[in-house]
Amino acid sequence: MPQAILVALLAGVMQAHDVRTIAIDERLAADAGLRIGDRVVLAATPESAGDTAVIGALVRRGTDPAEIARGEYRVRLHLTQLQSLLGYGDRVDRFAVQTRSPAVTDQAIARINDAAFGFRAHRSADIAVETSTTFAVVSRFHRAIGVITVTASAIFLLCIMLLKVEERRRDVAALRLMGISARTVVRSVVLEAAAIAVLGSAAGVGVAALASVIVNSHYQAVYRTPLRFSIVTPDIVLLAVVLSLALGIIAGWLAARRLVATPPLTLFGR
Amino acid sequence: MLLTLAFASLIRHRARTLLAVLGVAVSAGMLLDMVMLSSGMRESFRSLLLSQGFQLRLAPKGTLPFDTEATIRDADSLVALLRARPEVERVSPVLGGQLHIPIGSSTVTTAALGLEPAVQGDYELVEGTHPVAAGELAMNDALLRAIGRRLGDTVTAAAGYDAQLRGLSGVRTLRIVGRVRFVYMAAEQRGAALPIATLRMMQGADATGRISLAMVRLRDGIDADSTRTLFERLIPRVTVISTSEAIRQVDERLSYFRQLAVILGAVSLIVGFLLVTTVMTVSVNERIGEIAVMRAIGVRRGRIVAQIVVEGGAIMLVATPLGLALGLGTARYLNSILSRFPGLPERIDFFLFQPSAAWTALGLLVLCGLLSGIYPSWRSASLQISTTLRQEAVG
Repeated sequence: MPQAILVALLAGVMQAHDVRTIAIDERLAADAGLRIGDRVVLAATPESAGDTAVIGALVRRGTDPAEIARGEYRVRLHLTQLQSLLGYGDRVDRFAVQTRSPAVTDQAIARINDAAFGFRAHRSADIAVETSTTFAVVSRFHRAIGVITVTASAIFLLCIMLLKVEERRRDVAALRLMGISARTVVRSVVLEAAAIAVLGSAAGVGVAALASVIVNSHYQAVYRTPLRFSIVTPDIVLLAVVLSLALGIIAGWLAARRLVATPPLTLFGR
Repeated sequence: MLLTLAFASLIRHRARTLLAVLGVAVSAGMLLDMVMLSSGMRESFRSLLLSQGFQLRLAPKGTLPFDTEATIRDADSLVALLRARPEVERVSPVLGGQLHIPIGSSTVTTAALGLEPAVQGDYELVEGTHPVAAGELAMNDALLRAIGRRLGDTVTAAAGYDAQLRGLSGVRTLRIVGRVRFVYMAAEQRGAALPIATLRMMQGADATGRISLAMVRLRDGIDADSTRTLFERLIPRVTVISTSEAIRQVDERLSYFRQLAVILGAVSLIVGFLLVTTVMTVSVNERIGEIAVMRAIGVRRGRIVAQIVVEGGAIMLVATPLGLALGLGTARYLNSILSRFPGLPERIDFFLFQPSAAWTALGLLVLCGLLSGIYPSWRSASLQISTTLRQEAVG
């Protein structure tokens, strides 16, 4: 749809004026103080005279991760206009071909490649995989950092649970002396640990949501893109809650087992 | 005595101390990784750029070297102008392109650099000789493997395709005279080097007098940044990039990693700090009676504070070497992940170990260890002796 609007805009301006129109990056427009209808001179090299063109449309940068680290401006021209400007003749860098149905795509690729000389046809999905290698690498890096963070959190949680339970040595000793079974004590401690883990994860989700808002607003401003860098999805929340619950229960169980294995009087310090 | 008491206190709760040490070690490892990430990438890139001694790079106006296919016209006069400058020691003109090498029924395509072997700074010769004569070329291992040829063999190579004649264009028979390692190419990228005149001839009339890049080595004592400004004024049709400017641009593009390093490093430090503070606070709470007795028998307040601080510091000190070892291991692993970035020069390291990084991490951790003892030691020092003893005795 935005493409359709852009084409319509360009066509409209083309009819209204004799000079050809171009579409420019919203960022370029903002930085150079350009507006729709302004006349600009385009040249392939700094020393050449160039052609005059009218800005017919402003294009907002898409949410394409491949573009975030690229700081250069973009100008979109009619194909023939750019070919003439660069002295490219009728050369193009690539064609995009839409097949009638996905079923015939392989056949079309094979036929094009049989007839082609000096170029090759590729499936769009394959090109997408190739060009998204950068993000696959970043994703693997994030996963590795995530594993380290989870390990650190697990140790932290285990330590805190151990301390929490050990703080209650006297309570546990009293319960045991009153005849409460070791099993019941362990269950109550595990339940407490689970409750702490759930409350902690709920707070963590809140912190993550807030951090996500800060990260998005910061990087969207830095890279001037509408791309969302951080998203808190239900899957991620579920994973975090389940993980902290499991870690909390294990830590609580380990600490409680240790405590009930100690004679009550020793727990009292007698 | 102070150390003995601190040691005894830590040993009394082995599991707790072990977990605290482990927690701090993981935090320390993460902190080291993040310090290495925040500074290593820049240092690695700087040493890569300066490895061949060229401080300035001239690219077509508005572009970075080899970022686009744009070339500089009338480059021979530009190179002559640069060579005549008193500040300049050496100029290496480079023309980029592709070579297509037919092997059986298929064609292997490779990146090709046309250069002047006597002054080039793009590759290091591993075996053989530099490609000096018109019919010679040198290749890296990736290309030699792809075409199944060895030093001394000849290959037929073309610079392009002629779609109308359905044939290769700019075909030459070239002899492989050198095995080289390209400094700025990615690990598995195929590459060939040949004299710039040969590549220009193969590319046809369009390439006459053109270069993609000129690398400039300045004489000792010449400031690169002021020379960059001077050259940009002298030759307005090119963009002159100094090493510091290139690093700034890379910093801009990869600022995400630096900021991530700062955030995660800070989080690691906070986690380590909280862990030790918590352990020490609980430890002090447990020993309130013991501390009150020590105070009652005349042990000075400062001595008790010192003991608590030593305990916190001891956890940090034991955990730090563990953390540094862990950090180096994880840095290697994380670096192996990031080194798979497409197009990244083989020699770039995201995690570069520098002694300063280890000292920074160590300094921050020791500071953290000392700070983490402040609250618990203040609490222990401000105990009301009689009240505490009565509470502890009554239970």
